[in-house]
Amino acid sequence: MEINPDSIVFWKWVYFKINATLFYSWIVMLILILVACLATWNLTAGYRISRWQNILETIVSYMRTQIRETTQEKPDPFLPFLGTLFLFISVSNFLSFVPVYHPPTGSVSTTAALAICVFFAVPVYGIRQLGFTRYFQHYIKSTVFLLPFNIIGRFSRTLALAIRLFGNIMSGTMIGAVLVSIVPLFVPIVMHALGLLIGQIQAYIFAVLAAVYIGSAIRAVQ
Amino acid sequence: MEIDLFTLVAQIINFIILVVVLKYLLYNRITKVMDERQERIASQLKEAEQKKKEAEQNAELHQKKLKELDSKREEMLAKIREEAESQRKELIQKASDEVKDIRDKWYESIQREKQTFMNNLRMKAGKEVFAIARRSLTDLANADLGRQIADVFLERIQKLDECEKQILKESVRKSEYEVDISSAFEIPQEIRQKMVQEIRDQIASNVHVQFKISSDLICGIELVANGRKIAWSLNNYLHSLEESLSSAIEEKIKRKQDEIQEE
Repeated sequence: MEINPDSIVFWKWVYFKINATLFYSWIVMLILILVACLATWNLTAGYRISRWQNILETIVSYMRTQIRETTQEKPDPFLPFLGTLFLFISVSNFLSFVPVYHPPTGSVSTTAALAICVFFAVPVYGIRQLGFTRYFQHYIKSTVFLLPFNIIGRFSRTLALAIRLFGNIMSGTMIGAVLVSIVPLFVPIVMHALGLLIGQIQAYIFAVLAAVYIGSAIRAVQ
Repeated sequence: MEIDLFTLVAQIINFIILVVVLKYLLYNRITKVMDERQERIASQLKEAEQKKKEAEQNAELHQKKLKELDSKREEMLAKIREEAESQRKELIQKASDEVKDIRDKWYESIQREKQTFMNNLRMKAGKEVFAIARRSLTDLANADLGRQIADVFLERIQKLDECEKQILKESVRKSEYEVDISSAFEIPQEIRQKMVQEIRDQIASNVHVQFKISSDLICGIELVANGRKIAWSLNNYLHSLEESLSSAIEEKIKRKQDEIQEE
């Protein structure tokens, strides 16, 4: 029983390889880009809009509201990063009901990659918003002795982000696989449904936590 | 749980690419459209607000104008009513004046007609009175009365003064001594002779006297020579009486007319 999509390798050449994680990531990306293209094909500022545009506008406006509430800032600079985080994780998890599909978020490489992106995004937004000096003042707030603890905090929460998402998705897949082997009928369906719900919750948690970290960084010395 | 480094890096790159692509394909476009719509709604709301305000102002203005018009109309109506009233009064006054005028004229003409009628009646009555008098006197003019009248006439000839006698003589001479004596009655023969004698004594001896009967002379007798005449007749008295009566009546009529005019 293979539960790590990294180990399912479709193609390999020297150091390069295409495994299930990358393949399904691309599929998710393709779906997202296609939907975005379709929805934005006939964008209009009028009052009669297409269903796709309506769905996307609802999602986007909801994301903006969430970001505004979390960061207490104007949401537009953070929207592409945080929105894409949410959409990518959400769609990745949502597609897990497809039989041969392996969610990329079930691979610790993917969740670590996303966590690293958040890890670097926080100082980037912080510096862009506050300036280099004012941002790094946050690390020696109260006293200089807190600097190592702050740095450790940054690393540990990034690690926690990665492991939390990976653990939840991987466990969902694993529970599904275990239950199929024990009780093949009905019960796995319920667990799958639960897995879908957990996947959406995790996507929300990941994006909101990223927003919280960015928000705390740009409000650091205010 | 192991991290595949190549997958990690590839996923980081994947994610960054996805962020960039979605930023341009999705977020920018969607937010732009949403902002545009919001702006449009806001501007439309603002416009609507402004239009509402304008409409309110217009409504207020119209209300005001309507009120003004109403009050003006009331004013005009009152004025017209007043004018109509005054005109009505004037017309009534005029009509009543005209009626009074016509009535006065009519009254005057009635009065005048009445007066004329009364005058005519008076004149006619006067004339009737004289006609009756004349007829009765004519009826009375019998022989005895004729004798007496002839006597009076004789006496008159006898009592002619010199001047009258001369004029009469002249007339007789011009008429070639032809003298006519007219009377309303038959003069008795003896009186005739007496009268001829008297005329021959007083005027001319060779006078030729001719006697005539004339009904025009009421109880009268006259002597005519070449247009010159000596007469005695009741007609003369009656004439003078008639004249004085008619003058008295006319005076009374005149006085009455003056009174009417004064009224």
